[in-house]
Amino acid sequence: MADLEDLTPEMKAAIGAEVGDPVIYEVTTQGIRTFARAVGYTNPVYYDADAARAKGHRDLLAPPGFYGMPIYNPAAGVSMENNTSGAAWEQLYPRRLNGGTEVEPVEDVYAGDVLEARTRVTNLALRTSRMGQMLVREAETVYTRTSDGAVVGRMRNTGLRY
Amino acid sequence: MAQLTWDDVTDGQEISIVEEMSSQRLVIWASASGDFYQIHYDDSIATENNLTGIIVHGALKGMIVGRLLDEWIGDDGRIVKWGVSYRGMDRARMPLTVWGRVTKKYEDGGRALVDLDVGVKQQDGTSETTPGTATVELPRRG
Repeated sequence: MADLEDLTPEMKAAIGAEVGDPVIYEVTTQGIRTFARAVGYTNPVYYDADAARAKGHRDLLAPPGFYGMPIYNPAAGVSMENNTSGAAWEQLYPRRLNGGTEVEPVEDVYAGDVLEARTRVTNLALRTSRMGQMLVREAETVYTRTSDGAVVGRMRNTGLRY
Repeated sequence: MAQLTWDDVTDGQEISIVEEMSSQRLVIWASASGDFYQIHYDDSIATENNLTGIIVHGALKGMIVGRLLDEWIGDDGRIVKWGVSYRGMDRARMPLTVWGRVTKKYEDGGRALVDLDVGVKQQDGTSETTPGTATVELPRRG
């Protein structure tokens, strides 16, 4: 791991900047069900489109916090095993932990929705921990429905790299 | 189940669920979230990363807090926001209590809102690993 006195110029320049290009997320029926299953939901609106419609929804409803999955395509240069993502300055700290999540649902998300996710780094800081120096990376992702441009949710994440 | 209304909620009211955290569940979450980091399902890699064994994904704990809220507020309630910090790690294969406690009940711009403290703790009650807060909107009675 790295041991820096201060954030590097590359790190300072990254604060406030968007991370890469916008990413397209697909909200699929099976994605919704797998998420609902892992989280332990039993409400049929997350498993059965007819049950969701009976409750006034337009299709199978996504549980709060689910914004679909990015499209995996090896032709886009993404490797099957993808543990070292991030800029070169992030890879100074090869190990990762999740430090926190905040979710702000704005509109309901449904199967068939296609979302555009834009992520911006909101802060970077160095912190000393019992596992050595950590890089604390705060970021906000805004999810927008591509069909009409509506913001459907925001997620803020604190990532710890060490 | 009857729809919860804002009028039903009392200050200090507590809600909780107990969740089993099997390795199988963590693999289902890996698939659901796209987080395939091996410290959540491969004990040997977890150990190489200075951990004592596989640990529960922070994001899974955060989303189970969301489920606790979603199930409490019912069809006509709405989550305004919720957030948690992953202050400590929870080893897998041990049940966790996911809890919430009402801290404030108020109206804002015609909306009937409730604030809660939320968290995740191990069954022995000694480790509070995932503290956070939430705000939900509820319908009024009648």
